[in-house]
Amino acid sequence: MMLPEFAGFFENAAQQRLAFPYCRRCANFHWYPMPRCPQCRSRDIIWRSIEGRGELVSFSHVMHAFDKSRSDALPYVVALVKFADAPGVNLITNIDAPAMDTLQVGDSVVPVFRTDDGEQPMVEFRLA
Amino acid sequence: MLGRHIAIVGVGETRPVRRSDKGLRGLVVEAVEAALADAGLEPGDIDGVVSDGLIMPSTVPRDWVAAQFGFGRSYDGGMSYGGAATACSPIHAQLAISSGMAKTLVYYFGVDWGTRASGPYGFHDLYAGKMAFEKPYGFTGQPQYFALWARRYMHEYGLTERDLATIAVTQRESALLNPLSQATQPLTYEDYFASRMISSPLRVPDCCLLTDGACAFVMTSLERARDLAKPPVRVLGAGFGSEPISGDDVFTQPAGMMRIPGARIATGKALQQAGITLADIDFAEVYDCFTISCLLQLEDIGFCKRGEGAAFIREKGIGLGGKLPVNTHGGLLSHSYLLGVEHVIEAVRQLRGEAGRGQVAGAEIGLVGGLSNPDYGVMILGRDVR
Ligand SMILES: [Zn+2]
Repeated sequence: MMLPEFAGFFENAAQQRLAFPYCRRCANFHWYPMPRCPQCRSRDIIWRSIEGRGELVSFSHVMHAFDKSRSDALPYVVALVKFADAPGVNLITNIDAPAMDTLQVGDSVVPVFRTDDGEQPMVEFRLA
Repeated sequence: MLGRHIAIVGVGETRPVRRSDKGLRGLVVEAVEAALADAGLEPGDIDGVVSDGLIMPSTVPRDWVAAQFGFGRSYDGGMSYGGAATACSPIHAQLAISSGMAKTLVYYFGVDWGTRASGPYGFHDLYAGKMAFEKPYGFTGQPQYFALWARRYMHEYGLTERDLATIAVTQRESALLNPLSQATQPLTYEDYFASRMISSPLRVPDCCLLTDGACAFVMTSLERARDLAKPPVRVLGAGFGSEPISGDDVFTQPAGMMRIPGARIATGKALQQAGITLADIDFAEVYDCFTISCLLQLEDIGFCKRGEGAAFIREKGIGLGGKLPVNTHGGLLSHSYLLGVEHVIEAVRQLRGEAGRGQVAGAEIGLVGGLSNPDYGVMILGRDVR
């Protein structure tokens, strides 16, 4: 289910940029992408790129293959990351495996862009 | 008052199991048959059919159930979905009966998420944002959503793994007193800490069961209820609450997270109808899809303040002998996972004094809370005291 309003994220990620929907009327970011700004309901929304450094809001070591295709990849870390220069956005991502055992809420992280042939670009993070 | 003139007069359930070979439609038929028999009613007495608004219409639609029983429907409805839909379902009876649209309504709900390949996770594939931005990162299931909340809550409020264990251990004790519980083995703190991690900090005992099963209950006016087979259980109040945020965003985007605003709204409405306060509640059946979500709802319903859920559970006690017995049948964690419809059946049994070894002494008023984030439903039930 790839919706037209989602495309900007992947176009930017393919260029190694992190960008999020930004409402020009109320000057707020939001996430996920949607036709109307969830703060002021305006449709005047653009993609605005940010520096990329983020902070761990929370994380979890996933030890169970919810998706059977991932059973070889266990355990992995899912994390929620927020950005000082995009308040209001929380991004679900993965954190690089080497950092796994020492992660703390509040850790500083930076993006790692992955563009595998023919796949949607992915934005993962590693400790800064 | 509107809310106070409705009663639940019959309840029915199938034995909850991990895998049933009866099929979901067969299970629903069995539950509705049992509810009618419990009420001492015939199909011809039913003129309203109610379910949730999303899961049943795509699996066991109301027209199909009506056709199986020959219900002549002058009222047909479903609002919200899953747990919230069940807990606020007396709203349908209040509206339909007070407006003269129907006299006696049956509500049913069931799932076959024990056998269905995608189980509960498939449900979230409805959400485009989740599909595009979460699934590729392996963020696919409710245990992960609530794991993020639990980790953050630990960080902000000092919640410990032992606090979560207390919820699982306490509810298991209650489950072992209930003849239908799927969980049949005791759970100690040692067992809890030795159990498999699913999505840290949540372990197997922090997560609800998986179940094939169905439940149904019959609602009518209090006046009619008093002539029927079983002592009526009054609906003292019912409420629905939500916030304008989609299922895509509700687990990850709200500032602060870890909160269920609909719970406070729905509880407030139900209490107001009932003309009581939370201090009057003798027991609560709370949507415990996970230990952490049960704890958060105790806060958002208003039994304690934000951040104080763990202390409340430790100090007041949520076991059958505690100050506030919670999930007296073992809940979704240890009884069955039918998204909280079994909580209604249990509350009715408690108020009839039919809960056997799991009976809460002196149970007069009980609260049932149902979560379908961001939606929330509450019903407050009471013994018919004349
Ligand atoms: Zn705006």
